Amino acid sequence: MVHLDNVSLRAGSTTLVRDVNLDVAAGSWCTIIGPNGAGKTTLVAAIAGLRSPSHGSVSIDGQPLAELHERERARLVAYVPQHPEIPAGMAVEEYVALGRVAFHGVLRAPSAHDREVVAGVLERLELADFRGRDSTSLSGGERQRMVLARALAQATKVVVLDEPTTGLDVRHQMDILEQLKTEVAECGLTVIATLHDLTLAGLFTDRLVLLSRGVVVVDGLAHDVIRSPQLEASYGTSLRVVNVDGSDVVVPVRAEFSRPGTAAHRLAP
Amino acid sequence: MLASPPSTRRVFFVVAATVAALGLAVVFGLVIGPTSISTSRILGNVFSYVGIGHSTLTSLQSSIVWQLRAPRMVLGLLAGAMLAVAGGTYQGVFRNPLADPYLLGVAAGAGLGATLAIVNIAHGSSVPTWTPVLAFVGAMVAVVLTWVIGGRSLRSTPATLVLAGVAISALFTSAQTFLQQQSSTQSIARVYIWLLGSLSNANWRSVVIVLPYVVVCGAVCVLAGRALDVMSVGDDEARSLGLSVSTLRLVVVAASSLGTAAIVSVVGLIGFVGIIVPHITRLLVGTSYRRILPISVVFGAAFLVLCDTVARTVMAPSELPLGVVTAVIGAPVFVVILSVRRMGTP
Repeated sequence: MVHLDNVSLRAGSTTLVRDVNLDVAAGSWCTIIGPNGAGKTTLVAAIAGLRSPSHGSVSIDGQPLAELHERERARLVAYVPQHPEIPAGMAVEEYVALGRVAFHGVLRAPSAHDREVVAGVLERLELADFRGRDSTSLSGGERQRMVLARALAQATKVVVLDEPTTGLDVRHQMDILEQLKTEVAECGLTVIATLHDLTLAGLFTDRLVLLSRGVVVVDGLAHDVIRSPQLEASYGTSLRVVNVDGSDVVVPVRAEFSRPGTAAHRLAP
Repeated sequence: MLASPPSTRRVFFVVAATVAALGLAVVFGLVIGPTSISTSRILGNVFSYVGIGHSTLTSLQSSIVWQLRAPRMVLGLLAGAMLAVAGGTYQGVFRNPLADPYLLGVAAGAGLGATLAIVNIAHGSSVPTWTPVLAFVGAMVAVVLTWVIGGRSLRSTPATLVLAGVAISALFTSAQTFLQQQSSTQSIARVYIWLLGSLSNANWRSVVIVLPYVVVCGAVCVLAGRALDVMSVGDDEARSLGLSVSTLRLVVVAASSLGTAAIVSVVGLIGFVGIIVPHITRLLVGTSYRRILPISVVFGAAFLVLCDTVARTVMAPSELPLGVVTAVIGAPVFVVILSVRRMGTP
């Protein structure tokens, strides 16, 4: 489905991402984790087709993104940025309908089918009651749902999200991720996301890719990556993994409490 | 800024009021002037052309109406419509509320071109015939230079284009100032008159010259409304939604600049219309460019003709500079609407 072949990305003379190879299967959820400055945002922007690799290629369903027109690409992959710009005065329904521009173009009004898709997404994400509201008047959680709704209105097979839970409280973080999980399970959506919260990343994701200094350090099942010795080294801090009701919880440990000579990220009894 | 999306009723009311203002501007443009000719006699003359009744205007009165007032009014409509829609388009494409049609150097380029014509070619004549041509060339040279410097990379941001526009404007303005400094007092006066803008030299020929530019460029700007709405989420997000941002920016900037250059070359630098009309429209009908741009076309046309009516009547037989009137009328109206909107906002 999503295939990254030896992808490198540069900004001037600085290499931000180096030789990343990745295959993400259809209907799965892959989360890219790593410390600040690891290159996560740059990498997902490339997967969304918004940055051209300096080397290598990104393709979806066998189609190299670099060869596609913006409209064709927007029908393949949707993108939710870390800090979406919400235009003042735009109604929620109008904002979500922006997701249909790739279908009706900028010279035509949305078709009946486009309006139907938007109405369906608003309903699914419990935003129908807000359809006429100014998009900037929504709370943080509602706003993030609205941005996700815009991406889902694009009706793509792949959605790329850069830190979709930024600035949300725990409940709203869970709401957004549960919604995504439902889309993956029920609609066969392929999700590629970045997340800072390692516990949530492990909780919702099939697969984790640990990126550090632009290089993939570990790539595997969430359960294994969270327990890998490279995790602590990449973040440069002591971490423990605690099992709570069958779920892994990653806990940072202050230096004075970590036991010298022991691996800090250890499964608690 | 309108706090919430406007109701259909409000938009309908604003459209109706704007169209009414346009009708009023057309009537004022034809009827009001130093020579008193009644509205009914002018209307009788109009109807006589379609076989209803007969005209009671003398040939002199007919000439005043159809050779002086009508082309001036039509040119005012075209200039107001183009400047307003270009301003609105610039504000959308640069996502900058302070943008006006002169942002990328059109004014400075046209100013330099006109000054070159007046100072070096005029040789005592009042308005050299080369002025519009050199003003147009100057405006387009300035915009192309701005685009080459600030936008040569397809990934260049609106900010780099705006900064390049500021630099080119400063360069052209300094060249114009140097030329003025080297010229006679008489030439300087003529340059200033041109810079303040006027419709006093309007004739059917100038209308025919600018008409295709205004129709084509204005249509491109209006049609860009939906795309500008998409661009309001930022360049990267707009691209992720399927918009070819760099192509759109090029097309829209080219259309706005070309239309503005054509207008400026004929009527000089009329300020304020391009910034205030889209702003007032935005305050009334919300932030969607699908509504702002077409309404700005009608509102801008009406606004400029009404301002011109004031400019040529309050100190008749002499005229006030049109740019002064647009600012004096537009600024208080803008402040009042802004205050009313703020009071209405919870």
